[in-house]
Amino acid sequence: MKIEKMSFEESITKLEEIVKELEDENISLEESMEKFEMGIKLSSNCLKRLNEAEGKIEELTRSEDGKLVTRELDLEKENK
Amino acid sequence: MEDNKTLKSKIYTVSELNLEIRKNLESSYSDIWLEGEVSNFYFHDKKHMYFDLKDENSKIRVVMFHSNNKNLLFNIKEGLHILINGYVSVYEKRGEYQIVALDARPVGKGSLILAFEQLKEKLEKKGYFDRIHKKNIPILPNKIGIATSVGGAVIRDIISVLERRFKNFHLIIRDVNVQGITSSDEICKAIDDLCQYGVDVIILARGGGSLEDLWAFNTEKLAEKIFDCPVPLISAVGHETDYTISDFVADKRAATPSVAGEVVILNKTEAVENLKEASKKIKNLVKSKMAILKKEFNFLTSRRIFIKPETILNKFNQAAGELCIKLIGNMKRLIRAREKILSDYRQLIDEKNIFKRIYIYRMAIKNMDIRIISDIKNYLTLKKSRLKLILENLQGKNPVAILERGFAIIYKEKEDKNIKSIDEVKINQKVRIMLTDGILNARIFKKIYKKLEIGFKNEN
Repeated sequence: MKIEKMSFEESITKLEEIVKELEDENISLEESMEKFEMGIKLSSNCLKRLNEAEGKIEELTRSEDGKLVTRELDLEKENK
Repeated sequence: MEDNKTLKSKIYTVSELNLEIRKNLESSYSDIWLEGEVSNFYFHDKKHMYFDLKDENSKIRVVMFHSNNKNLLFNIKEGLHILINGYVSVYEKRGEYQIVALDARPVGKGSLILAFEQLKEKLEKKGYFDRIHKKNIPILPNKIGIATSVGGAVIRDIISVLERRFKNFHLIIRDVNVQGITSSDEICKAIDDLCQYGVDVIILARGGGSLEDLWAFNTEKLAEKIFDCPVPLISAVGHETDYTISDFVADKRAATPSVAGEVVILNKTEAVENLKEASKKIKNLVKSKMAILKKEFNFLTSRRIFIKPETILNKFNQAAGELCIKLIGNMKRLIRAREKILSDYRQLIDEKNIFKRIYIYRMAIKNMDIRIISDIKNYLTLKKSRLKLILENLQGKNPVAILERGFAIIYKEKEDKNIKSIDEVKINQKVRIMLTDGILNARIFKKIYKKLEIGFKNEN
């Protein structure tokens, strides 16, 4: 499966698997290079995803014509 | 008839009497409380309820109309001990009196608790709480949906937990009343809207309160909405000790709203730390693997064979030289042996003898030639004399010879077929008579039948 298509959970699980596989002394050099490459890719992909969320708080309402709309919400201001 | 008219007392019709009794009863028992056990319960078309209330010795009919029972939180069931409020009336059609119940509540425990227990039991039987239906909560949701009251402290608690765990979290809030009559419907609608908008997880959140305060989260409608929700859902209602129906149906129960903030998303700092740790570990593992292999490589390459590879070659060179010498010697020996066999055969051949034999055979052939020629000559002479004999014999049978002896052949004038019988010609017909020296054209004058049998016989 392509790394980009894996869910975050799958990526983490795969990464843990790779660490375990690399700990096995009988792994061939070729295989360990492959795993190494994949592991580094997975790790950087996960790090990238951690920064993907947009970092905002929005309120979801229905407009008068029934459409779903969002607006950014500042709770401190709302309170006053 | 006349007798009746003279009666002093009033004569009622049935309807009049029933109406009057009803009025009397309704005014005398206009607002009463009655306690008893439910029996013969009948819920007509899920609208009006008909049942008896009874004690050890007696019972009374009760009717509770739809408008009065639709807001009951618990279900009235056979055997339930309840207290009803209402008035006594008469069903005039049958002349039966009954209590019209306006309200009912369970005896012994609160109606809310009973309603909660009844719904919980029902949903549990339907499998709404089964593990198999629980969806996994994603550990890294891009968008977190939440249905709660924007005005409350709960949302602030959750946000502060989220800020601590995951700085760039994306929260979609749907403001709802978390108590009151409309609350349950609002929350249902919020779930629909959040699903439609597209979030990765939904939190239903509310602070602590009495059972009544939390009631919006104990309705069957909301339970069904949560059960059918395609998005993973966390129920975070009340304090740690509060349980609501939504807690049971949801994919996950958070003991408090703050806990919901914890379970809804991973701790970013920790996650980053773990990922870096994993990368480091991978790098180190490969590094040490390389180091081991390098060591092995060095050990191998330090052996003589790699340092002075020509030693191997020298050994082979020497062997090859020896083999080469052996090969040439063998070949020479072989050639010599063959040459000897050849000269042996040569000696066996005697040239003089061969020429002598050729001469002898030539002579023999010459003799044979002479014999064959004389044989052929003899043969020819023999054959010639035989032929002469045959020719002479043939001479006697030749028609020309016959003609020479005086016979003639007769033909028809135009045909080359000879006539053998006088029947073949007619009188006056022209014929040709062939003799040895020419042809006579003649005409037949007369036919005389006379057989020449005897003459022929004599000739033969």
